[in-house]
Amino acid sequence: MKRDPLGLLALPGVGYLALVFLAPLLLLLWSSVRGPEGWTLDGYVRLLGDPYYRGVIAASLQLALITTGGALLLGYPAAFALARARGGWQVVLFALIFLPLTVSIIVKSFGWGIVLRRDGILNWALLNLGLIERPVRMIFTEGALYAGMINVFLPFMVLPIFAVVRMLDPRLPDAAATLGASPWFSFRRVTLPLSLPGVVAGVSLVFSLSVAAYVTPSLLMGDRYMTMSMVMAKAFLNLRDWQLGAAMAAVLLAMALAVVVGAAALQRRLGGR
Amino acid sequence: MNDQHLAVRGASKRFGTASVLDDLSLAVARGEFVSLLGPSGCGKTTLLRCIAGLLRLDAGSIAVAGRDISALPAHRRNVGVVFQNYALFPHLTVAQNIGFGLRAQGVPAAAAAPRIAEALALVRMAEFADRPVTALSGGQQQRVAVARALVVRPTLLLLDEPFSALDRKLRETMQVELKHLLREVGITAIFVTHDQEEALVVSDRIAVMNAGRIEQLADPATLYQRPASLYVLDFVGQSMRLGGTVSAAGLGEVTVETRLGTVRAPGAFAPGSRVVVAVRPEAVTLTETPPGGRNTLAARVSEVSFLGSRTQLHLDLPAGEDRGVVELPRLPPGIGPGSAVPLAFPIADTMVFPAA
Repeated sequence: MKRDPLGLLALPGVGYLALVFLAPLLLLLWSSVRGPEGWTLDGYVRLLGDPYYRGVIAASLQLALITTGGALLLGYPAAFALARARGGWQVVLFALIFLPLTVSIIVKSFGWGIVLRRDGILNWALLNLGLIERPVRMIFTEGALYAGMINVFLPFMVLPIFAVVRMLDPRLPDAAATLGASPWFSFRRVTLPLSLPGVVAGVSLVFSLSVAAYVTPSLLMGDRYMTMSMVMAKAFLNLRDWQLGAAMAAVLLAMALAVVVGAAALQRRLGGR
Repeated sequence: MNDQHLAVRGASKRFGTASVLDDLSLAVARGEFVSLLGPSGCGKTTLLRCIAGLLRLDAGSIAVAGRDISALPAHRRNVGVVFQNYALFPHLTVAQNIGFGLRAQGVPAAAAAPRIAEALALVRMAEFADRPVTALSGGQQQRVAVARALVVRPTLLLLDEPFSALDRKLRETMQVELKHLLREVGITAIFVTHDQEEALVVSDRIAVMNAGRIEQLADPATLYQRPASLYVLDFVGQSMRLGGTVSAAGLGEVTVETRLGTVRAPGAFAPGSRVVVAVRPEAVTLTETPPGGRNTLAARVSEVSFLGSRTQLHLDLPAGEDRGVVELPRLPPGIGPGSAVPLAFPIADTMVFPAA
């Protein structure tokens, strides 16, 4: 078999990633199974045996699922609106959806804090409208956390779906209609299956980003909602328990990897038909 | 017309300030093939989309088999469409594409299967049933599109430039094949096309469209031999046409002075009128002493095109409203670019139009 010389073009990129990403990753995995007395699974045993840590893993998973689901619910129609919008409207919608990406996550999360504070804008507005009698606690609630997380990760859902939907032939729904398909049937049997590759890409992107979220949960919930990343940071920085932190990192990596690999396999199966 | 199957009455459609359909009416008989022929932007595709229900008319009505369907959405009209480039569902197989409409209309799988098989056989695609449509050639995709539209037994079939995606050779074969197939099914069909040859091949009648109106609706022979306007003359077939002034009129005949000489034609125009006389290329012969009842002119050849079964002479005429194409079954010896030729053509075949 002849080698494609174009493959060599990937070498610098792959080499760079191997140096700065793969090597530290292997080091991390190594330190998760290396104790002072040699090889050990002690880190994993302590992690998975402790109900507190199991709770943290469950909480991270729940946060990632709700964020992904919420972003999908909001992002899917938005991607269609963006793809169908004409001229100036498309520019405006694009700006609305993607401009927030240029603002750092830290700034956005602080922003949510200011909006949701006891003396924040939202409480002030509701009080002045007479809808509530005294300030409602919003910050440090799970609702606030989900709102902030979806806000941060929504563009990562919209972009891949938009990229797929934009390429769909607008005459396909027309063809379906002339064959007697109701709008709902046409959506279920034509538009939805053809847009699934974008959904799969968006879901794996948002899930793997949100399951590892650190900044937004720390700023909007603090210690009340511990995610895996927050535990990891504590293990490395406060407890100096490298073994535990590395084990947590490995579990996190495995979860994100499972979703990404699963999504890729699903996409291949859908694309192969 | 009594067996009027499709009746479009007073159809108007505007996009913003542009009027795309302008008080257009069209009646098509059951089982008839009608082409909507015109350049892009004449409104033919808009009319098709309005009949299919993919667009709503601003004014006017559309009735099929005596039932007004103007207010129905596309999926309740039962009007089939074969789209330009076919719009097959890329994620489905050939059989799934054809079965889509049946499934959408709630036909049980057991009842749908024989109808799908029948449709596959009709377009000779049975052995491709389980192939993905993306693996088909252009001609095969067209057959699937036709089968997909026909299997739900539409009351009317609309075809939007159905041959434009095919190469020339295949296009000619498919035109005849599709016409034959649709005739067998007995369906009423409307073709949209900008290709006059295609319209001549596939239709019983042709509606030549111009700026949102039907300029002339007639059978191909009438359209070619008796075009109602200069627009139709130019859009369907070629011609030799000369601008001139009427010098005498009477007894259903006018005499016109052109740059190449005097021409007589059947018609009624007042002396002094600015007109255009025209003759189809094959009506012209090269003779200095023709039999009676003919016009004779002297012209100069600018270019010769050999087309196989015939040869075209392009005449050297000043730019403007004059245009000259003459066709001969065989090129006489000694004629080439620059030759002076005597032209003769029957007065009865000479057409006269008011100058544009």
